Formats: sequence, structure tokens, C-alpha cells
Amino acid sequence: MLEQQLINGLMLGASYAMVAIGYTLIFGVLRLLHFAHGEVFMLGAFFGLQIVIYMTGVEVVAAAIMAIESFLDVKGILLFFAIFGAMIGTGIIGALVVFVAVRPVDNKFPLAPLISTIGVTILIQNVTIMVFGGTLRSFPASIEPVRYQIGDLTIDSVQIFILVTAFALMGSMWYLIEKTRIGRAIRATSESHETAALLGVNVNFIVLFVFILASCLAGVAGVLDGVKNSNVSPFMGLEVAVKALVCMLLGGLGNIVGALVAGFLLGTVEILSSAYLGSGLRDFLTFSILITILLFKPTGLFGTRVVRD
Amino acid sequence: MLDAYQESLLIFFGINLIAAFSFYLPFKTGQVSLGQAGFMGVGAYAAGIITTKLGLYFPLGLATSAVVSAIVGLMVGFPALRIKGIYLLLLTLGFGQIVQVVALTWDYTGAHNGFQGIPKQDNLLLYIYGVLVVIVLFFFRLERSSLGRAMVAIHGDEDAAEVMGIDIVRIKLFAFSIGAAFAGMAGCMFAHMTTYVDSLTFGILLAVNILMFVVVGGGTTFLGPIVGTIGLYFLPEMLRTLREWMELIPIEWTENSEFLTSAYDWLYDFFDFENEKRWIAYAIIIILMMIWRPQGLMSRDLVKRWGRRLTGSRA
Repeated sequence: MLEQQLINGLMLGASYAMVAIGYTLIFGVLRLLHFAHGEVFMLGAFFGLQIVIYMTGVEVVAAAIMAIESFLDVKGILLFFAIFGAMIGTGIIGALVVFVAVRPVDNKFPLAPLISTIGVTILIQNVTIMVFGGTLRSFPASIEPVRYQIGDLTIDSVQIFILVTAFALMGSMWYLIEKTRIGRAIRATSESHETAALLGVNVNFIVLFVFILASCLAGVAGVLDGVKNSNVSPFMGLEVAVKALVCMLLGGLGNIVGALVAGFLLGTVEILSSAYLGSGLRDFLTFSILITILLFKPTGLFGTRVVRD
Repeated sequence: MLDAYQESLLIFFGINLIAAFSFYLPFKTGQVSLGQAGFMGVGAYAAGIITTKLGLYFPLGLATSAVVSAIVGLMVGFPALRIKGIYLLLLTLGFGQIVQVVALTWDYTGAHNGFQGIPKQDNLLLYIYGVLVVIVLFFFRLERSSLGRAMVAIHGDEDAAEVMGIDIVRIKLFAFSIGAAFAGMAGCMFAHMTTYVDSLTFGILLAVNILMFVVVGGGTTFLGPIVGTIGLYFLPEMLRTLREWMELIPIEWTENSEFLTSAYDWLYDFFDFENEKRWIAYAIIIILMMIWRPQGLMSRDLVKRWGRRLTGSRA
């Protein structure tokens, strides 16, 4: 029973961690709380859903997919298309957010970019409601779940797929930030815009790149969340956004690995507390953790990379 | 004099304005709070217990909501002294969420069924605008007093203000807890208007709205929250009336031309600002406002300039 709950916790934590990494990246380079990040997550789920519906709806495409699947002897090719498409879609959204609500807003006034991203939040949510309707929509099961039994533990192929995808993406994200040239530029920009610019980093481009990267990650998280819960709704963004904020803080502002670990930690804590203490106490526990961390260790569990100013 | 729709519009405008002022007071000392909706919830539940559960009079409920919220404000504001910026934003956000959880789980006030059967108060309009007059007078005096200038100094540079001998702990706590009291009163009025509140009523979206009223209006003069609340509260409502304005166009103007008729129909469909479109327009207005005037519509410099022009004096 406990192991089963731990798996559920990991699944929930994967969503939190992927959204929180985006938050923390954006906060790192801009000191900005990107309020619309949860809505990007929601949009990712909708993009994925539309792609799955389209691809199973058009006969030629559906047949082609079947052929590829039987040729390669795998299932769930469709989901890769959905994830890939959602990534591109949310990446574009991320870039649009920069051009519409971040670059034109003077960030001498620290609250102005926050308010403009809140505007984007309202915009995205209501456009989604207008286009897709304001109701819960079911996500068609595109992989037939195969159940595996390991001792008392049951895990199905969808869960494995979600966890593997999440880990693969977050791993490559870590590699990108820590080991590549552009990652070094991102880290330099996080330390100081002026110094980075003096050293030849194109700060504007880095900000744009970080937004796109974070949005892609949130989009994939959205698709995976849609697959996991087998439904999507225009209102799914807010809760994940708030919880991911907690994870960002828990992991230390600007700390990517911290956000990842904190995401899984919080997901597990939430699942365990709602299983053993009742779901009413779950949020209470989460936000008590938030407040405790804020008061006693504002640098987070794993240290912040953001110099307090 | 006023029909029911206009009266409720004015009542909710007044409640929103009190809430905006409740954000504005701590903001004067540089404290950005996403917990004002939480304080509204505290006030609504405290007053609801007084009037509904104990059957006492509304003014007592209003006073209780202010006192209880101020005490809770002190409890939140004291630890909040240590932190600022995004940390304070997150702390107050967490506080708001905890208020919601308590509202959701407290059986005495109906838990997840919500707090039902709160009596609807007559003459609420008078109470609201009475409180608002007091608040506006308070700010009018405050911004011309040494306390107000001390608050601005704290906002500008806390360390420098402390060196100047300003008691920042007391002033920040005062601002935070009086702000909380304003929010509590707004929550009390809200509960006695809608007669029903639950944990979702005072959520993060309300807190964010309150924050927007002040930042869009301008956070350096008390005219800011007033202008911001008028703009952001009445503007979406005004968009709804565009259709009524269109209906005033006489039909003879369009019926002879096929083009004008179709244009009229298209525009009429386009002005369907009942639900999502209204919010989309609202969001676009907010983004444009932040691009155009990131410091908010009203600012102290602007007010000073206008004041000079009115009195004819030169700087």
C-alpha cells in the first residue's frame, strides 16, 4: 500500500517538478514571478489533446500511425506526437509572452511585469474557454495500459511512460544548464544582467530562450498530466501553478536541481498526507511547509542561486 | 432612485475599493500582500458568526470583523517583518491558502457546504460608503502627516529610514494590521451582501484582483486605488452595455444598405461581452496599461503637477 502511494506521489511530483523548474529558471534570469506559467501548463494539455483527437480522427493519419506502430512493434507513438506538438505549441506561447508582456514592460517597477503576466493568465484562460469550452474534457486513452506486478506493487505502462519522459526531459534540462555553452550563458545572466552583457552574452536572447525552454517543459508536463488523469480542463493550471511555486521556494530560488527534488518531495508528501490524514489536511500541510520554510530557511532546502537584493 | 442592478454594482464597487485600500496601506511601507483575500475571508467568517450564529447586530459584526482581522494581521505581519519581496508575496499567498483550508474544514461554519444563511443587511450601501469616507479621510490626513512620510521613506529604503530614527517595526506592523482590518470589513460587507460565502469565495484570484486594482491605479497616492478600482471594476461592466448603446442606433440608418446591415449584425455579434470576451478585453487592457504606465495611472508627481496647475502656483 505504501509503495503504491509512493508511486502516485512520484507521478504527482513529476508535474510539480517540471512546472517548478520553469518557474525557477525564469525567476533566475528575470527575478520575475511568471504568473501565467500554470496556464501554459494547461495549454500544453489542450494542445496534446487536440493533436491526439486530430490524429485518431483523420483516417489516413490514423492508418499511418497504426502501420508505424506495427512495424516498430511498439505502442503509443501517438503520444510522442502529442508531446512533441505540445512542446512546439507552448514554446511559441512562451515566446509570445516575452514579446507581449515582458519585453515592453519596464521592469524598473517590480510589480509591473507581474501584473502583465497576470493579464496573460486571464487572457490565456478565457481564450481557451472560448475556443474549447469551459468544461472538463476527457483525454482519450492512447496507450493500452499493460500492468506489471512487482511483489505487491502494481505499475502500469502509462505510469512508466510518464515517469521516464519526465526524468528524461528534466535530465536533459539539467545537462543543458550545467554543461553546455548556452547553459553557462543562462547561469551568467542569472547572476547579473550587466556582467553577462559585458562578457558578450546576448541577455535579451537568453531571456527569450529561457521562457521558451520553461514553457516547453510546462507544456509537456501538461500533456503528461492529461494522460495521467485522462481529462483536461481550462482551470487545471492554477492549482499546479501554486503548488509549483511552493516547490520553487522549497528547492531554493533559481536552483534547478532543488526544484526537481522539491517537486517530487511535495508530490509524495501530498499523496501520503491525503492517504493517511485526509485530503482536507493536505493543502494545510503544504502551505504550512511553505510558511515554515519562508520564516526559518528562506534560501530553501538546497540553497538559492539568487543573490538577495 | 437606483434599481437593484445599479445598487448591487455600487455595493460591490465599494467592497472592492475598501479591499484595494486594504492592500494599499501595507504597500505604502513596501509590503506586497497576496493575503488580502484571506483577511477578507477572516472578516466574513468572524462577522458571520456574530450575526448568524449568535444573532447579534450587524454593526457589532462589522466591528468584530475589523478587530479579528487586525489581530490576525498582527500575527501574520510580525513574522513577515523579516522578509520582503517575493518571499513576502509567497508568505501571504500561503496565508490566504491556509484560510481557505480552514474555511473548507471547519464544521461550525459549514465546512465544504459553505457558510449559509447569513442575513442580508439593509442599507448596506450607507455602511459601505460611510466606511469608505472614513478610510479616504484617513488616507488624506495620513499622506500629509509625518507618519505617511515615514511610510514612504520605509518603502524607498528601509535601512536609511531606520538610520533616520523611524521605528520601522511599529510602522510596518501598524500598516499591515490596519490594512488587514480594512480587508476584514470588506469581507464582512461582502458576506452580508451575498448571504453565502465558502472557501472558494476568497481565493487567490480575488487576492490577485485586489493587487491589480492598486498597481494599475498607482501605488503612490490614495487616488491610485480609487482610479484603479473604477477602471478595472466598471470597465468590464461598461463593455457589457456596448450592445445597449448599439440598439440606440435607429434602424432606418442601416436597413437601406445591405453592407451596413451586415456590418451592424457583425458588430452586434462581436459585442457579445457577456462572458469570456469581457475577460479577454479586461486582460488586454491590463497588459496595455502596464506597457503604457508601469507606475500606475496616478502617481504622486502627477497629482502634485495637477495641484500646482489648479492653484496656479509655480514650482
